[in-house]
Amino acid sequence: MPASRELVVRGTPIHLMQDGTGPALLFLHGAGGAGHWLAFQERLAGRFSVYFPSHPGHGGSPAAEWIEHISDLAFHYLDLLDQLGLERVHLVGASFGGWIAAEMATMASHRLASLVLIDPVGIRVDGWIYPFLFGMDIPEIVAAIFHNPMAALALAPRDQSIDTLALQYREGAALARVAWNPYLYDPLLRRRLGRIAAPTLLCWGAHDRLAPVSPCGETWVKAIPGARLHVFDESGHLPHLEEADAVADAVAEFCRREGAR
Amino acid sequence: MKFYYFHLMPYIMEHDEPSSWVTLSNRHYDPAVGHTLYNQYLDQFEYAERLGWDGLCVNEHHQNCYGTMPSPNVMAAMLVRRTTRAKIAILGNGLPLRENPLRIAEEIAMLDVASGGRIISGFVRGISAEYFSTGVNPTHSRDRFYEAAELILRAWTEAGPFPFDGRFYRFHYVNPWPRPLQKPHPPVWCPSQGSSETVEWAAKRRFPYLMVFTPIKRIAQIYGEYREACERNGYRASRYQLTVNVPIVVAETDAKARELAQKHVMWVFNVGLRMHPPFWRPPGYITEASLRRLLANPPVLPSDLTFEQADRDGYLIYGSPATVRDKLRVFADELQAGILCTAMNGGTHERTLELMQLFAEEVMPHFREDAGVDETAGVGR
Repeated sequence: MPASRELVVRGTPIHLMQDGTGPALLFLHGAGGAGHWLAFQERLAGRFSVYFPSHPGHGGSPAAEWIEHISDLAFHYLDLLDQLGLERVHLVGASFGGWIAAEMATMASHRLASLVLIDPVGIRVDGWIYPFLFGMDIPEIVAAIFHNPMAALALAPRDQSIDTLALQYREGAALARVAWNPYLYDPLLRRRLGRIAAPTLLCWGAHDRLAPVSPCGETWVKAIPGARLHVFDESGHLPHLEEADAVADAVAEFCRREGAR
Repeated sequence: MKFYYFHLMPYIMEHDEPSSWVTLSNRHYDPAVGHTLYNQYLDQFEYAERLGWDGLCVNEHHQNCYGTMPSPNVMAAMLVRRTTRAKIAILGNGLPLRENPLRIAEEIAMLDVASGGRIISGFVRGISAEYFSTGVNPTHSRDRFYEAAELILRAWTEAGPFPFDGRFYRFHYVNPWPRPLQKPHPPVWCPSQGSSETVEWAAKRRFPYLMVFTPIKRIAQIYGEYREACERNGYRASRYQLTVNVPIVVAETDAKARELAQKHVMWVFNVGLRMHPPFWRPPGYITEASLRRLLANPPVLPSDLTFEQADRDGYLIYGSPATVRDKLRVFADELQAGILCTAMNGGTHERTLELMQLFAEEVMPHFREDAGVDETAGVGR
C-alpha cells in the first residue's frame, strides 16, 4: 500500500501517494485516473520510488482557480520536484498526464532522466480530431477508451453518492479549464517537442480510438528527437491499465537503460 | 398585469434521436417549411400587438428543433418595423457565447434607436447545450457573462472612446455608434433557472428576474429569494421585476384546452427539450454548490415530464377563459408577478390565432388594473 499525504506546493494543496525504493519516478495520471494506485504503479514501485500526485481538482487534490492553462500544470509539477528535492526524475505520464509531462519536458529536459509518454494527447495532429469525450455518456466513453471494456471497472466510481458525483464534476471542470477549447491540445506544443532532450519512450495501445497510433503516435515519434515507439497489441487508450505488467516492464527496462547512461 | 407574447419559433417535428439539441442533424430542417413557419410566427407576433399584448419576446438558441432563432436580434429587427407600440423583449442574447460582446451593445442600440426606445435587452448565459454548439469553455461561462455585461453597460452609458481591459475581452477603443435611445440604457432582464448567484446579481442591479418553464412552487421560492436580495440591497422589488414565463392554452372549454395542451405544450418539454444527458451538464457551467443543491433534489428531466405532473406542478396553464383567469390569479395575486410572458400553440397557425384572440378578449381585460403604468419605468436599469 502506498503512503498518502497532503502537501502544499507553492500555495497549492495536493494529495500525493508514494511507495517503493530506487530512483525517483513521477507518474502523472490521465483524466479519471487520480488516486487509482493499480497494478502498474505497484509493479513500478518494485524498482523505483514512485511519486503519484493527483492534479489539482482531481481525486484528493482540491480545485485550484489559478490553473487556466496546461503550462500552469507543467510549472506546478516543476515546483513539486523542487519541493520534494528531486533534482532529476524519470517522468511517466499517461494521456492527459502525458500532455503535462511533454510540456514539462519542453521546459526543463535537464530535470528528466527519461521521459515516458503513454498514449499522450496534447498536440494537434494533422488528419485527426480527438473524439469529444465531454459530449459522451459513460458507455460511449468506455467504448472510446478501452479495448477490453471490463478494464474500465478499475476506474469505476465507488458509488453514486452526491459526494462522488460532485467529485466527478469537479474533475471534469478541472480538465475542461485547460482542455475544452482547443480540445486536448496546446497549439504551441507540437513545434516545441523538438526541444526535448530527455530519452523518450512512447507507449501506445494498438486499439486507441481517442488518439490512434496512426496518425497520433507516428506524429509524436517524429516530433521528439530520438523517441522510440512501443505498441501494445491488446490495449486501447490506457495500456498501463489493460496490459499493466507488460507496460510497467517496458517502462522499467527503458528507465534502467537510460538511467545508466 | 402586463402580458408579453413569447415565441420559441420551434421547428415542430417527431424523431427518435437521443437529443433534439447539438447532434440532431440539420438534414431534418426543410427550409421551405422553415419559410412558412417563420412567416406564420412573425404574423402571430404582429397579431399579438393588434390584440393588445404589451410586449413581444424573442430569444436565442442554437442547433436544435426547440427554437430556431440563433440570432434573436434579427427577429427583433423585423418586428421593429412591423409594430409600433409593443415592447420588444430579447430574452436574451447569450453574452458569453459571443467572442465580441460589443456587437450586442451595437445591435441592441440599433434596435432601440430604430424602434423609438421599445427594446428590452435580456442578458443570458446560454443554456448548457450551447457550450457544445459554440465551443465556448463552460468553465468560463459565469465570468464571461459578468465581464460582457459590464462591458455592454459601460458601452451604453459612458461617453466613448474608452479602453477596456478584461480577462476575456480587450479593446483599446470602446465607442459604439449608435448609442441607445432609452436612458440610461434599455431595460436589462435576467431570464434564468434560479441559480442563487444570478438572483443576487440581478437584484443588486434592479434587473427583472424571469423564471422560464419552472414549476410554480419553485417560482414562489425564487421570487422570495429575489425579494430578500432586493431588500438586502436597500430597496423593495417592484412587481415588474418579477416576471414569469408559462405556456397557456385557452379554449372554449376545459376539455378542449386540455387536449391541445397535452398535444402541443408537452412537445416543448418531451421532444423540444430532449437532450443527450452530457449536454445538460457541461463541466464547470454551474458551481459545485449549485450542483450539490441540484443532486440533493433532482428535477424531473423535461423529456420525462408527464402531462399530469406538468399540470399538477404548474408548468403550464390551460382551460376555458374562466379557468385560465382563476389560475392566473395565483400568479397575479399570490406570486405578485408583474409581467406574464406566454407562448401559445393551437397546433395550426389558424388555431393559434384563435387562442390568442380568445385570451386577449376573455382573459387579459380582467387583469388590467395597471393599464396606465409603464412597466419599464425605473426598472432594469
